[in-house]
Amino acid sequence: MVQYPRRLDTTFAALSDPTRRGILTRLGRGDASISDLAAKFGMTLTGMKKHVKILEAAGLVTSEKVGRVRSARLGRRRLEDESAWIATYQRMQHDRFNRLEEFLERTRGET
Amino acid sequence: MINTEKQSGATSTITSPADREIHIERVFDAPRDRVWRAFTERDQIAQWWGRGNKLVVERMEVERGGHWRFVEHSADGVHGFEGRYREVTPPETLVYTFEWDGMPGHVAVDTTIFEDLGDGRTKVVSTSIFHTTEERDGMLYSGMEQGLNQSYAALDELLAKQE
Repeated sequence: MVQYPRRLDTTFAALSDPTRRGILTRLGRGDASISDLAAKFGMTLTGMKKHVKILEAAGLVTSEKVGRVRSARLGRRRLEDESAWIATYQRMQHDRFNRLEEFLERTRGET
Repeated sequence: MINTEKQSGATSTITSPADREIHIERVFDAPRDRVWRAFTERDQIAQWWGRGNKLVVERMEVERGGHWRFVEHSADGVHGFEGRYREVTPPETLVYTFEWDGMPGHVAVDTTIFEDLGDGRTKVVSTSIFHTTEERDGMLYSGMEQGLNQSYAALDELLAKQE
């Protein structure tokens, strides 16, 4: 049985709000500070912080405070997981082709 | 091109034109028909796809929309892989989706082209494209939004009829 991560529920909850979907679309184009986001979506800093916090809990966004500015970006951890998976997959494909070559040599004349 | 490796006389070229794409070319010393069958026949694929590990072919419906599921039994555990065939054009093209149980939702699309070199050898060109998390999430939430709008439109229509 495939086990779906519990995070999926938090992800759906996080995505249920149009402002939060807008924040993700905006961050897809580049990092932004919380105050920029607040201005863009016409809300208070406190209101924007709440949205970002929900997106962070779902792993969709990370935020970092540099000096007095807190900036947000798309979830980095998930991206790292994915890069590792792509690298693994590349190695697997390579190994598979080595095995295929052995198989074709071994069965030469049989098939 | 980032890497070229030579081994056992064959050259396998791995290129990464983009971070999200894996491109592998390899020439096999076997006619195209045999290579095609090694990819599309159950008892044949079971002998190499598992990379030396025991491979159980649970499902393999080699046709457009057909489901495949392979389970590899290795020293570090049991790993399931599955997807659907998107294009099956013997003996030239095979396109399928690919997902590993360990990374649910991360779907790659694999395209394998079999090229007859005319001298009894076959060139296999494999391209795997991984969708980015953002693209996937983008599809997810645009899909949700679209779905909601459609539901609202249907509701509007229903309410208008009842008036």
